[in-house]
Amino acid sequence: MLTITVNGQKRHVASAPETPLLYVLRNELGIMSPKFGCGLAQCGACSVLLDDAEIRSCVTPVSGVANKEVTTVEGLPARWARRHGRAADQGTLHPVQEAWIEQQVPQCGFCQYGMMIKATELLEQNPKPSDEDIKTAFTTSGPSAHLCRCGSYLAILEGVRHAVSLMAKKDGGA
Amino acid sequence: MSHVDFDSTIVVGKAQLSRRGFLAAGGALVVYACLAPRDAFAQAATSTNSLDPTRSLSWIEIRSDNTIQFRTGKCDFGQSSIYIAYPQIIAEELGVPLEAINSIISGDTDRTPDGGGTFGLLRTNVVNLRKVAAYTREAILELAGRRFGVPRDQLTVTAGVVTGAGKSVTYGELVQGQDLKLVIPVRGNATDFSGLVVEGDPPLKSPSTYEIVGKPFKNPNITAKVKAETLWASDVKLPGMWHGRVIHPPTLGSKLVKAGSLDSKKFQDSRLVVQGNFLGVVAPNEWDVIRAAWEVAASTEWTSWKGLPGHERLFDHLREKVDWAALPVMNGAANKGDVAAAMRGSAKIHAAGYEIPYLKHAPIGPSVALADVRADGTVTVHTNTQNPQFLRKGIAIMLNTSIDKVVIRTYAGSGHYGRSNGGNAGAEDQAVLLSKAVGRPVRLQWMRAEDVQWSTQSSAMFSTVRIGLDPNGRVLAYQSDHFGPPMQDDRLVGALLAGLPTMGVPAPKMPAPHQGELLVRDPWVYHHVPNVAEVGHGTPQIGQHESPLQAGLRDHSMRTPIQFQQNFPREVAMSEAAALAGIDALQFRIDQTSEPRIKDILTRLRDASEWRSRPTPSPEAASSGDGTVRGRGVSVIFRDNGFWACGAHVAVTPSTGAVKVERMTLVVDPGIVVNPLQLKRQVEAGCLMGVSIALHEEVTFDEGAVTASDWISYPILKMAEAPEIRVVLVHRPETGVHGQGSETSNALAASAIASAVFDATGKPMRRLPLRPENVKRALSA
Repeated sequence: MLTITVNGQKRHVASAPETPLLYVLRNELGIMSPKFGCGLAQCGACSVLLDDAEIRSCVTPVSGVANKEVTTVEGLPARWARRHGRAADQGTLHPVQEAWIEQQVPQCGFCQYGMMIKATELLEQNPKPSDEDIKTAFTTSGPSAHLCRCGSYLAILEGVRHAVSLMAKKDGGA
Repeated sequence: MSHVDFDSTIVVGKAQLSRRGFLAAGGALVVYACLAPRDAFAQAATSTNSLDPTRSLSWIEIRSDNTIQFRTGKCDFGQSSIYIAYPQIIAEELGVPLEAINSIISGDTDRTPDGGGTFGLLRTNVVNLRKVAAYTREAILELAGRRFGVPRDQLTVTAGVVTGAGKSVTYGELVQGQDLKLVIPVRGNATDFSGLVVEGDPPLKSPSTYEIVGKPFKNPNITAKVKAETLWASDVKLPGMWHGRVIHPPTLGSKLVKAGSLDSKKFQDSRLVVQGNFLGVVAPNEWDVIRAAWEVAASTEWTSWKGLPGHERLFDHLREKVDWAALPVMNGAANKGDVAAAMRGSAKIHAAGYEIPYLKHAPIGPSVALADVRADGTVTVHTNTQNPQFLRKGIAIMLNTSIDKVVIRTYAGSGHYGRSNGGNAGAEDQAVLLSKAVGRPVRLQWMRAEDVQWSTQSSAMFSTVRIGLDPNGRVLAYQSDHFGPPMQDDRLVGALLAGLPTMGVPAPKMPAPHQGELLVRDPWVYHHVPNVAEVGHGTPQIGQHESPLQAGLRDHSMRTPIQFQQNFPREVAMSEAAALAGIDALQFRIDQTSEPRIKDILTRLRDASEWRSRPTPSPEAASSGDGTVRGRGVSVIFRDNGFWACGAHVAVTPSTGAVKVERMTLVVDPGIVVNPLQLKRQVEAGCLMGVSIALHEEVTFDEGAVTASDWISYPILKMAEAPEIRVVLVHRPETGVHGQGSETSNALAASAIASAVFDATGKPMRRLPLRPENVKRALSA
C-alpha cells in the first residue's frame, strides 16, 4: 500500500499505483477541491501543488507523488501558517483565498481551485510579480494555460495583485 | 404574550393570511403559492407539481428569531443573482436587513415552489419574487395593525421593525408562538417553461426609496466556494454508488452493430449496459471504469454514417442545399414602410452577407450527474441544470413514468451559459439509464471529448443585410434576412441513443418554445429609419433527419441565443454603412435612433473609450504589410430591458492576420443596478467570453461527427489575451426595471471587434471567428 502526504497528513492509499492522483484525492481521500476538467492536462481545473510546483493531478500517477508533499486548496491556510512559523489557525484563510473573496474573483468558480493553486505557486516564487509575470504564469508557465470559460481573467489579475499586498502586509507585521 | 386576535382569515390583496395554530416555542409566517380560482381546472394536472402546502414548499418563511428563508426553482451558475441579487431585492421589498435572509433553497424540484427555467432572473422572475415579498410585508403590517389597534396607513417599516401609534414590534415578535400561513394566488404550472406566475398587484416599494438594492454587497456564495466548502454536483456521493462511463457512437448517426467485450476479471465487478444504441460501463472504481470504457470502445462495432456538410462547406450547404421555403418566415416586430421602394430610391446601398459558425458552450467541467433509480420506480438525479423542472419532465417522458416519480436535486456546477443539452448537459438521463440497469446509484462523468462532441451547440447562422442611404448618409431602408435552425433541442441524448421517448424537437406548428420557425430576436433600436424589414428563416437541425439516430448537429440556447446571431450582422453592417456614408460609426448610430437612453450610452461610450470621431477606415489603415495597424469599432444592443454599448480597440498585423484586442469599453444601462460590484464583474467576464468567440471559436466537424474534441481543437481565450476592460454602469431607478447583466456583454464584443478590424484595415470582416487564416482571407479579398 502506498503512503502519500496530502495537506500535511500522511495518508494510506489503496488505489492502484497508476491511478491518477485526481481520482485518489477525490474518491479515496475525500479531498474534493481539485476538479475534473479535461483529464488531458489542458485546463488546470485539477491543479495541486507538488512540493512547490503546480502539477496536473489528472495525468499524474499517484505512485509518482509518494515521497513528496501534495497541497490542495483545503491545505492552503495551513501551508501559509506553517511557512510563517505560526500554528494553523481555524478560520484564517491563505492570503490568496482572502484576496479571491475580497475581489469577488469567481463567476461559476469551477476553475478557481486550480487558479488559486497557480497563484500560490507564483507568489511563493515571486512575491512581487508584474502584470506580465501574472499573465505569463497563468498562460504559458505550466503544461497548458489555466482556462476560465466564464472569463474571470481580469478578476484573477486583480485577485493576485490584492494577494500581493495582503502578503506584504502580513509579512511586514510578522 | 398577546397574540393578534383574529378568527378566520385576513385578506391581503389577493392573498389570504390564516393561523393554523399556536405553538409553545418558535413560530413562523410561512408563505405558500396557490393556484388562482380561474386556473383551478389545472389543479388536478398540477397535483404532482409539489404545490401541496402540506409538503412545506414555502416561498418565504419569517421565523420568530427574525431570520428569513426563501426558495426559488431557479439555479445560480455564478451570475450571483440568486445568492446576492435576490436577497437584496427580497430584503428591500420585505423591509428587513439583508442579513436577516440566512437560508436559500434553490433549484430542487421537490423543495422549491415556483418551477420554470433559469432565464430572465432579473427580467421576469424578479417580478414574482418582489410580489411575494410585498404580499408578505403587507400581511406583517396587517398583523401589526391589529396588535397596535391602528390602521395600515399609520404604520411604518424600518429594518424588520414595524412602528405605529408610538409602539414598535419586530417581524419575529409578530409571528412568535404562532403557525401562520399566507397563501398567494398564482397561475401556470411549475413544469412549464416559465413556471408559476404570481397573481395580483400588491403595493411595491418605490425604487427611489431603495436602501439595499443598488449597493455593492459581496456574494456569500463566493466565500463558500473559495473556502472549498461548497458541495459541487461532481462531488456528490451516495452509499453504494458506482461510477459510469458511456461509449458514444463514432458519428452523430452511427448505430450499434456489436458491443465490445468487457473483461470483468480485469475490471472487478464491472458491468456492460446496452440499450439500443446506448452503450455504457459501470464499475465500483472510477479509474477502472474509465479504462474499461476505453477497452470496450476499441472492440465495439458501429455502422458508418455521413450526413453532415463538414464545417468548411457549412455555409455553402446552408445557402444552396437547405430548402428555406419549407418553413414559414417570421417577420420582425419593428417591420414598417416599403423597403423595396426605399432601396430603389437610395443614393447608396450597402449589401453583404455575414456568417457565424456553430459554437460550443464548452463548460470547463464536462457534464456530470448522479442518478438513483429505485425498485419502487422513484428517480432522483443529482446534478447542475438550468432547467430542473424541464429535465424532470424529460426523464419522466423517457421512462414513461409519472412526473411525480422524478426528483431533480441541484448543486453548484461548472458554468454552462445556456443549455448544452435538453436538461442541461447530457449526463443526467444517461446516468438514469445506467442506474436503472444496475439497480444502484450511478455517477456518470462525461469525458472532455464527449462534452465537445455530444452536447448541443449554438447553431450556425448566416444573414444578408441591405442598408439604403440617402445622399446625406441617413438610413432610408434596412433589410435583413437571417437563416438558421432555432436552437431549442430539448431531447435528452441518452433517450435518443436508447430509442426511448423524448420531448418534441423544434418543427413547424410545434408550440413554443419548440417552434421550428426562426424568430427575429434582436429588438430594433434605430427608430429613425423609416423602412425596416427583418425576416427570420428557420430550418430543422443540420443532419437531424438524415441521422438514423435523429441526432445530427443538435443545437440549444447559448448566451443571448439567436439575438447574438442577428445582432452581429446588424451591427457590423451598420458600421460598414457608416463607412459608406463617410460618417463616424458611433455618431451614425446616434443619428439613427430616437431612444434617449441609446443616445446617452453612446455619448458616454465616446468619452469612456477615448473614441476620436472620424469616418472608417482609419487614415492609417492597411490591409497588407508587417506593420501593426489600429482601429476601433462600436456596437449596441437592447436585451432584457437593458441598453448596452460596446467599443473595441484593436491592433492588427496584416501579414500574419493576427488580431490583438487592446481595450474593450462597455456602457450598461440596465435600469435599476441591483449590485454594481457583481454587475461589473459579470460585464467584464461576459465580455471576455465574447472576445473568445470573436477570436477563436468554431465547432469543426466532418461529414459524420464533430471533430473538435478538446481545448486544442476547440480553443478559448487565455489570460494573456485578455484586453483592458472599462465598464460604465448607468443606474436609472426611475425606470422601475431591474436590469439583467450576465450574458449581454458577451453578445456585443464580436461585432465591435469585427468593425474595429475593418476600421484598421479597410477590409470588412463578415465571418467569425477572426482567426489569422480567416482574417488573411478577408484582407486579400
